[in-house]
Amino acid sequence: MRPENYQAINHPPSHEYELNFGPNHPGIEGNYALKVKLQGDQVVEAHADGGYLHRGFEKLMEGRLWIQNIALVPRICVPDPVPMEMAYSLAVEELGGLEVPIRAQWIRVMQLELSRIAAHLFTFGGHAATTGMYTTMYWGVADRDLFLDLFEELTGGRVYHIYNIPGGVRRDIPDGYLDRVTSTLDYLESRLPDYDNLFFTNQVFVKRATGTGTMTQQQALEWGVTGPNLRATGLKLDVRRDDPYLVYDEIDFDIATEEAGDAWARTLVRRKELQQSIRIVRQVIERLPSIGGPIRCPIPNPLAWNVPAGEAYARIDSSKGEVAYYVVSTGGDKPYRVHVRGPSSMHAVQVLENLVTGGRLEDVAQIMFSLDACPPEVDR
Amino acid sequence: MIKDIPIIAEQAQQPRRTNPLAHVFDELMNFARSRSLFMLHYCTGCGAIELPPAMTSRFDMERLGIQPMVTPRQADILLVTGYVSIKTLKRIILTYEQMGSPKHVIGICSCTVNGGMYWQSYATAKKLDEYLPVDLYIAGCMPRPEAVISGLQKLIDNIKHGKSDNWKDYYQRYDHYLGNQQHLFGNNWQTPTDVIGEAREYGLFGPQTLGQHTELLESVQKPLQPLEMKL
Repeated sequence: MRPENYQAINHPPSHEYELNFGPNHPGIEGNYALKVKLQGDQVVEAHADGGYLHRGFEKLMEGRLWIQNIALVPRICVPDPVPMEMAYSLAVEELGGLEVPIRAQWIRVMQLELSRIAAHLFTFGGHAATTGMYTTMYWGVADRDLFLDLFEELTGGRVYHIYNIPGGVRRDIPDGYLDRVTSTLDYLESRLPDYDNLFFTNQVFVKRATGTGTMTQQQALEWGVTGPNLRATGLKLDVRRDDPYLVYDEIDFDIATEEAGDAWARTLVRRKELQQSIRIVRQVIERLPSIGGPIRCPIPNPLAWNVPAGEAYARIDSSKGEVAYYVVSTGGDKPYRVHVRGPSSMHAVQVLENLVTGGRLEDVAQIMFSLDACPPEVDR
Repeated sequence: MIKDIPIIAEQAQQPRRTNPLAHVFDELMNFARSRSLFMLHYCTGCGAIELPPAMTSRFDMERLGIQPMVTPRQADILLVTGYVSIKTLKRIILTYEQMGSPKHVIGICSCTVNGGMYWQSYATAKKLDEYLPVDLYIAGCMPRPEAVISGLQKLIDNIKHGKSDNWKDYYQRYDHYLGNQQHLFGNNWQTPTDVIGEAREYGLFGPQTLGQHTELLESVQKPLQPLEMKL
């Protein structure tokens, strides 16, 4: 029976049953759970059940020095850790009145965009796996590994980099690094037609994703959706363009949008962003050799650094959506309060619950992956 | 590996084996088991991010005969990847008890060894081997795919030589593990699995299987009811 001919019979209420979708479930992203109430295979009600990854980050950060927290923040979002340390650094710089050197700002932009490419490749893999196309997962993860190699050379860490500190970056780029970035980008660009044939224009994906988990622009704004998920509803809203941080105002790039607002549009926006990120990194590679100067501004002794009292709010655009840090200092050597505004805490709770309701059970995993939610960031 | 891993002190009373070929059969079984390991697909923490690279094209775990498996009842290895919050630990214990023996637990990342980054956190359990018998630890934050694969190779060697028998310890010293679980989850903690009955069934009933904690469990335990399916 084709899905469009499928008519759900309205059973009496006793025919409803509950199903635990997660945490130990191959379709769920990370350690997260949904309790879905089903009627046949139609979802009547869904409740997000988080907290499996709660570590109490905001409390932990109050007990550590300003500089120690740099090692803690990337753990909040595992697949895309760079925006986390970047937003925290920007907030602390604003508090401390630090002026980041131009060269460090360009290196940071390159790092942010490389991280976005890696995160998107990972998401495509997971999303394709939920529609039964495992080859894309194998390709995506293997290609992401090339970017992790670049990170390893630059920062010393594959996944967690701890490369940005308030005031700049920890070390300068190695010799010949930009050539290796270029060749990796060339390789990825040569792979994009293959990805299109394999996944993005594959009818298995197009037919399953079109019309799945649709939200309108109005709903998206009401639910607090940001980032690629919001741009998939047709709204050109991007922190990189609207509230430029670092040197994004000097960089030429397009904001990828789609109109449909369904799983297909969300994936396609990420596919377009991949090209825009490549474009941004190429501009950085072009400009970086001509910019000299230091890579970080002098900061006081980090072990006895009393950041001036005040409040700061820094927001940046990550691959998942808008990441923001609200940092309060009372002039001590530790933060008084740090609040993390993660995009996934909206995407994986209220948005996911609403989009899943009324859909079918086999689409739950697909909707979750198309929203690109990150469970460790939901629970924190 | 750290020193705290319990070593089985005394062998439980097992029926005497009279077949002269039993030894050969054991070795053959150990060899076969070591070459076909199913790993439970349960991402408990952030170390799970290095598992897709280890499983897919670049590092390719399948050449060692290790594959992800979605149900605990068919899995051989439980990978605990990273920090375990209290809520997750309950699910891990439930999952572990559902797995069929022989089963092996691997603790990946520093957080399973001693709490790691989150040693101060109110929400995480610090040492995994207090609650489950751990066969192998892979330290690092987070360990690279090469480290994961080398750890799994070590496990394969141990299984082949019959040295990876810590799952027996859970039956033989159930009272110890249950005590730690009750300390964390409260006195009403119980799982649907009848571990004591299984220990008798497998012939692994040791002197420390029963104790004050299992007495407490029996006093609060509700009888197991068959699950009601409402359709």
